[in-house]
Amino acid sequence: MGLLSRISSRSPWLYRINAGSCNGCDVELATTALIPRFDVERLGCQYCGSPRHADIVLITGPLTVRVKDKVLRLFEEIPDPKVTVAVGICPISGGVFRGSYSICGPVSKYIPIDVDVPGCPPRPQAIIEGIAKAIEVWKERL
Amino acid sequence: MGYLKVLLQNLLAGPATEPFPFGEALTPKGLRGRVQYDPHTCVGCRTCELSCAGGAIRIEMKPEALEFTLWHDTCAFCGLCAFYCPTDAIRLSDDWHLSHTDDRKFEMIEKGRIPAIHCAACGEECYATQPAADLFDHPPSREELERLRGYCPRCRRKLAAEGAQP
Repeated sequence: MGLLSRISSRSPWLYRINAGSCNGCDVELATTALIPRFDVERLGCQYCGSPRHADIVLITGPLTVRVKDKVLRLFEEIPDPKVTVAVGICPISGGVFRGSYSICGPVSKYIPIDVDVPGCPPRPQAIIEGIAKAIEVWKERL
Repeated sequence: MGYLKVLLQNLLAGPATEPFPFGEALTPKGLRGRVQYDPHTCVGCRTCELSCAGGAIRIEMKPEALEFTLWHDTCAFCGLCAFYCPTDAIRLSDDWHLSHTDDRKFEMIEKGRIPAIHCAACGEECYATQPAADLFDHPPSREELERLRGYCPRCRRKLAAEGAQP
């Protein structure tokens, strides 16, 4: 493992994709980062604005028909290696929207998912637990 | 000099950040987490399957058994199943440690099984569920419920009515 890999394994950057979410999980994701009570930055993580800087991708929402192509284009822009975390039950299985005409099915049909965090929405501690698992996967990928 | 008071307060209060994942997280009372199913107290009414918002509960009435399956990866933890369950056979525990790697996706289930039997009186095939409490005109005792467990629904009604007579 080179010096760069050793350094970057300590500070994976998070990127958030909203694949047609109801915003519930997105609020919980904002909570984990912005409120000192949860503070995901203790794990070395930081939200970034550009997909080209991302290491760990957090996907929320059931992947609606309208947003599908945009999500796939965004996902292509994220450089490898990347770790994907499905936050909430919608990206994992479709959740309460499963079987709807406007849903392209679970996200795993199009994008390889590494860690799942079920919940509707999951509580911030559960998201932090999922990110901690994603960091373990990230360290193996480097 | 107001800041000295704030400084002292912060020193005494300690950090506001929860120690999780390096320590234990606070779990509030009544948090809705992992679902637990008890096949022994289930009456097999299937109301939970009907009320489930995420379609997480599936009850299969197979010839050999009634099989209950709940998939946590599509459960919204709304608690409707536990609310409508007449005998509290479904409960939501406060275990929220549900995150998992994707290869364990289909292992996140809660299963239960009620075996099929032949009725002790008429020999008809039925499931050995717990008898429903509304068969009786009084709150049934544990012995009464266990006594009727081996009978089919029709014989249960008859026996419960006979037991009610003086």
